[in-house]
Amino acid sequence: MTGEPPLTLRVNGEERTVPEVAADTRLLDLLRWRLGLKGTKEGCRTGGCGACTVLVNGESVLSCLTLAREMERQEVTTVEGLTGTPEAEAVQQAFAEAGAVQCGYCTPGFVLALVSLRREHGASPPDLPTLANELGGNLCRCTGYYAIVRALADLLGVPVTSELPKSTFTVEPGGSP
Amino acid sequence: MIRTDALPKARGALPYAPDVELPGMLWAVYVTSPHPHAEIRRVDTAGAREVPGVVDVLTAEDLPGLLPREPEPTRPLLATKVTRFVGEPVALVAAENLPAARAGASRVQVDYRVLPAFTDLEREFPHWPTPEEMRSHPQVNAHVHARRGDFDQVAHRADHVHRERYQTAMVAQVPLEPHACLARVQGDDWYVLTTTQAPFGIREDLADKLGLPQEKVRVEGTWVGGGFGGKNEALLEPHALLLSRRTGRPVRIALTFQEEFLFSRTTQPAIFWMESCLKDGKLVARRTRLLLDTGASLPGRDFALGYSLGFTLGPYRLESFELEGYALRTHRPPFGPHRAPLAPQCTFASEGHLDSLARDRGEDPVEFRLRHVWRPGDRTALGQPVGPFAAEAGLRRARETARAWKASAPPGHGVGVALGFWSTGTGAGGEARLTLSPEGLVLLQGEREIGNGSIWQGLPEVVAATLGVPPAIVSVRYGDTAHAPFDSGVWGSRTTAALGYAVAKAAEGLRRELERRAPGSGPVSFTARDGALTVAREGRSYPATDLMTPEERAEGGLRVEAKHYGKNEGTLEEGLVLEGEMFPYSDLIASVHVAEVSVDRETGAVKVLRYAAFQDAGKVVNPPGYRGQVEGAIVMGLGTALTEEGLLDPEGHLANPGLLDYRIPTLSDPPPELTIVALEGSLGSGVWGSKGVGEPPIIPVPAAVANAVADATGARVTVLPLTPERVSQALRGGARDPGGGRR
Ligand code: FES
Ligand code: FES
Repeated sequence: MTGEPPLTLRVNGEERTVPEVAADTRLLDLLRWRLGLKGTKEGCRTGGCGACTVLVNGESVLSCLTLAREMERQEVTTVEGLTGTPEAEAVQQAFAEAGAVQCGYCTPGFVLALVSLRREHGASPPDLPTLANELGGNLCRCTGYYAIVRALADLLGVPVTSELPKSTFTVEPGGSP
Repeated sequence: MIRTDALPKARGALPYAPDVELPGMLWAVYVTSPHPHAEIRRVDTAGAREVPGVVDVLTAEDLPGLLPREPEPTRPLLATKVTRFVGEPVALVAAENLPAARAGASRVQVDYRVLPAFTDLEREFPHWPTPEEMRSHPQVNAHVHARRGDFDQVAHRADHVHRERYQTAMVAQVPLEPHACLARVQGDDWYVLTTTQAPFGIREDLADKLGLPQEKVRVEGTWVGGGFGGKNEALLEPHALLLSRRTGRPVRIALTFQEEFLFSRTTQPAIFWMESCLKDGKLVARRTRLLLDTGASLPGRDFALGYSLGFTLGPYRLESFELEGYALRTHRPPFGPHRAPLAPQCTFASEGHLDSLARDRGEDPVEFRLRHVWRPGDRTALGQPVGPFAAEAGLRRARETARAWKASAPPGHGVGVALGFWSTGTGAGGEARLTLSPEGLVLLQGEREIGNGSIWQGLPEVVAATLGVPPAIVSVRYGDTAHAPFDSGVWGSRTTAALGYAVAKAAEGLRRELERRAPGSGPVSFTARDGALTVAREGRSYPATDLMTPEERAEGGLRVEAKHYGKNEGTLEEGLVLEGEMFPYSDLIASVHVAEVSVDRETGAVKVLRYAAFQDAGKVVNPPGYRGQVEGAIVMGLGTALTEEGLLDPEGHLANPGLLDYRIPTLSDPPPELTIVALEGSLGSGVWGSKGVGEPPIIPVPAAVANAVADATGARVTVLPLTPERVSQALRGGARDPGGGRR
């Protein structure tokens, strides 16, 4: 572990220099264990779940598949850096209100992916089916996605369209005593 | 009300087990068996010890001197002479950092001699075996045989005997957060921080595995990134504790997803031979023969077989029945509970079989169920009285929905119904400690919230409603097992219902105590003011904390404790002939589901378009939590129904231990239209008459989908999951497996 060069990058708006970053270090591990940013969650480590999503120069990437050394002089944003911005707050609030956060392990990944999707399109924000489609790589094992789609719809201020998962819930008398 | 843990989680601000660290911490990784069955001739750790940064290597040889008591040979903590499944831990390497630990692990040399492996139930047992074959079969873990009446005689007299064979696959819980823990042993304090559904269960398990008294083991739960039954048992904790004991340093172990698939405990394949007898249009008898793969599980801890077998009879009146099953020890990963353990599989067999029987006879399958379903006052097959049970009500609603959908569905679509039943773990006990303190009302818990909302939201709501105040003034604080009151854990759909009972008793106790203390004699009411509990009596109101004694004030508040140990009512019936172990039911819970599917006749691909769930709720305690459980369970069940299957290659290696090939549902998979109706009124033994909800809604899902496919195509798929290949094969008239008798 000696003789590896340092790495300089911007993380959440601050320039950071991390000493001795090995060539095979992944961005996920650099953020979590060298920079202490544990809001980026470690799930599958193989690009299959989206829990590790971060922004690189504003675009969402899977940090488990990204080599840390490729981040030289790049701008990395994690959930810690995004929290407090109006875009992130809106998404986080929508998720909380819709009941889209159960265990919460997938949630930071969804938040980052969504914020970048909405930013990318600037003035013409993507519609609900587009958002839902783009989030196909973010898995959630708890909610069955219904509450997540509710959160997306609330965020856009639109009803859930017919082809997307949508549920109704009623409590009725009916059991026999 | 918004869950107060939601925003901190969405901000990435709450630590889970894989996130925690301590100064001086070591990282440990496993060396696991690459063979399903092999003799270990030699383990050479010299190479690993040379890797810079490696601090310790632990093998089975090191255990005897390290443990207070010799490890039981039947439950080895590390493989000794043989390995019994791919992924079985053989050694651990602890190092200053993860790369060094991994490099060390790759340099542990294990000399294996590969032995013949038993990994394929279907190949081993193409037919239901004879008693003679099984008497000497070395892999039998458990055998259960129960009957009432003489099935063969009834079958002889029957108008029709319907026989089928069903088969189900290995499925895994796949929480997004893999197992992880951090252990620190200091003197007699064996402390571990871990992701668990049951800190007290883990403590007991650890004490047992390590040969320690429970008082020396201290387990602290972290926030849990999903459990689904997979986080009930001590898995990594014993190894982390032992390494910490040896090195004197804190030790972290975290599984990769691949390891998670290989050596956490999960559902293995099963084969069901089903037979049902009809006499004068009435279902009179059923026989189920079940071979259950329990993986590399060990004898003596097998609840699975005896518990699951009863579910294959369905909740239907029968004059006689016969249940027989073998749990087989195979060279696959060990069996473990997974959200309503085995009930979706048993119900797939049982409800698929019933559906195909009714269709074969030209009767509407829902009407057929309605004619036979248990009603309160009936007895279960095992002889227990049927208490409040909303199966009939659910079936009536399902009939209405199925008819409406059938009428509005395009041609080629199919509509299927299935009824699942479950019995909750309300017999397991729990204790509650509620403290009135200057910071408000505080519940102290051992379990952290695992996601379903039961701890974080359900329990505070029970306190609040008991006192008639808003839930916001109740908060949950966590403690380790040395400090928090005992509870059995967040499993068996029991938490809000059963632990909620203890919590309600504690809140009731607090109310009575405050009524006793409040000056005056009129009625007392409670309100919340500025986040604090306020007492009002005879026109005067003041903070409840004013009623505390100076001693209570000094000790942090007025503490009320209560317990609730439910009982599993009832005994099994006298007339029952039983070998092996079966278990009585507690509350009965019905889930009646309707699925509408389309089937692509070219590819065999199944799409679920509309779905309805009529759930026997008893009483809904926490509506958003209830809804979230039903939505999540149905979609998880659709994974079991359609895509999830752990596949072995010919050498017995899991071919798809990861999310890229083991496909769990994504955002585009859930049915676009889901109707959930919680039917209240058939009260259970949980708080306020509630019944559990975490497990019941997953149970009928695979059966409902398969029944809808049969309705759409006339083809019955009898093997889970319903992959396009299996569906096309069934469409081409592929082998319809005969069920039933001995060869
Ligand atoms: S951890 Fe990166 S995609 Fe799963
Ligand atoms: S909330 Fe648990 S994985 Fe999404």
